[in-house]
Amino acid sequence: MRADAQNTYNGRNGMKHVHSESMIVQASEKTRDDEWSNLLLKVGRHRDRQAFERLFSHFAPLIKGFQFSRGGQSSAPEAADELVQEVMFKVWRKAPSFNPEKAAASTWIFTIMRNCRIDAMRRRGRQPEADDSLNVEDIWDDSQDDQPLVYLQQSRSQTAVASGIESLPPEQSHVIEKAYMEGKSHSEISEELGLPLGTVKSRVRLALKKLQSTIVR
Amino acid sequence: MIHHHPDNNMLLEYASGSLNWAHSLVVAAHVQLCPKCASQLQMLNGIGGSLLAASQPVMSGGPQQADAFDKLMQRIDEDEAAPLEEEAAAAESARTLARASYKTPKDPMFSSVPPVVKKVLEGNPLLKWRRLSKGLKEARLKTDQRQHEVAFHRISPGSKVAEHDHRGKEITMVLYGSFSDADGVYTPGDFLVREPGEVHRPTATQDQECLCLSVVEAPVALTGFMGKLVNPFLSFRPQ
Repeated sequence: MRADAQNTYNGRNGMKHVHSESMIVQASEKTRDDEWSNLLLKVGRHRDRQAFERLFSHFAPLIKGFQFSRGGQSSAPEAADELVQEVMFKVWRKAPSFNPEKAAASTWIFTIMRNCRIDAMRRRGRQPEADDSLNVEDIWDDSQDDQPLVYLQQSRSQTAVASGIESLPPEQSHVIEKAYMEGKSHSEISEELGLPLGTVKSRVRLALKKLQSTIVR
Repeated sequence: MIHHHPDNNMLLEYASGSLNWAHSLVVAAHVQLCPKCASQLQMLNGIGGSLLAASQPVMSGGPQQADAFDKLMQRIDEDEAAPLEEEAAAAESARTLARASYKTPKDPMFSSVPPVVKKVLEGNPLLKWRRLSKGLKEARLKTDQRQHEVAFHRISPGSKVAEHDHRGKEITMVLYGSFSDADGVYTPGDFLVREPGEVHRPTATQDQECLCLSVVEAPVALTGFMGKLVNPFLSFRPQ
């Protein structure tokens, strides 16, 4: 039960940070992510095709890059192209519900991409447990609705996370990248790197601790 | 107040999409009730967003890129030209049908379950409760599970569940009422992980029935000494 006690403690701390965060934010400069957020809003509100084309030319190569980094599996160019089509199709359809106060543009697109990847794995039978009564989006909700949250100012925390990842020790950023970009579970990472599961877990935890402290600062 | 949460490792696997379906279902149910984990999840999604924003762009040639965009816009046009009314009408009638065939279990214990659990209930309109032992009932969910078994468990007020250990990892989330064991009291939203071999003896609170959602790993068909199927949740320890 020790870990839980610590979690609760962090939780309280988290609430405090929300306040200090929003104050810093007011003074913060516009980040590049705001540009993409604005384009997404244009697509959502006005079905603006020019804005969408700019998003496409920016994010399609990034989605491919993210996908290509996957170790070995499904790194076929066709699969990456297909993923781009699927993700950007959903981006167009869901753009009206995009809320820049709740997520940075790249984070929002990441969640859509993650769900497309889960869905693709499911169709290929790599998620043998998936049952038909639930959609991927029932479990991995990307609707941004009804979450009783105090939201951090998103573009600001996004910038902090990005610089935080860069300053992680390589063995930590390595497991984080494997988890997100290659979509590997902790036990898959531990097998692949020949490390004990506990080591992978603690590297992830250390990395998160550092990232959290960067956001707070 | 929720005191027991999935750990950061599990939340990260959920956020990055590598956590298995059954565990993700319970994590989702927890996150929908727990603002603390929901905001942690935002941070974890933000890591994904940062990695996407910083990933090495793979450019296709200009014409190829333009082709891909045209192909996408063609799909979007076709999608939008499709008679919306028909589509909407079909969707609406499907929903009406689903609603008609689905009745929320009258029991108040199902009235405030998180959205994902509501979906699960809609997909399993007929819960078949079976008695596992005195005071403990189980309804397994119709899933095509091989590695995990997902089930609702209900413990009647004040009942003590027979002491049991776990053959596989078990995750339990309280949906209604509360229960306690040697380690503490668990109330709605609490998320518990029991590793294989851990022994515990849950007891429901006196005044209320307790409802839990649980996922047990590797529900291999275990045959008990009486020749019937024994649930791993209830593998009795010979005393």
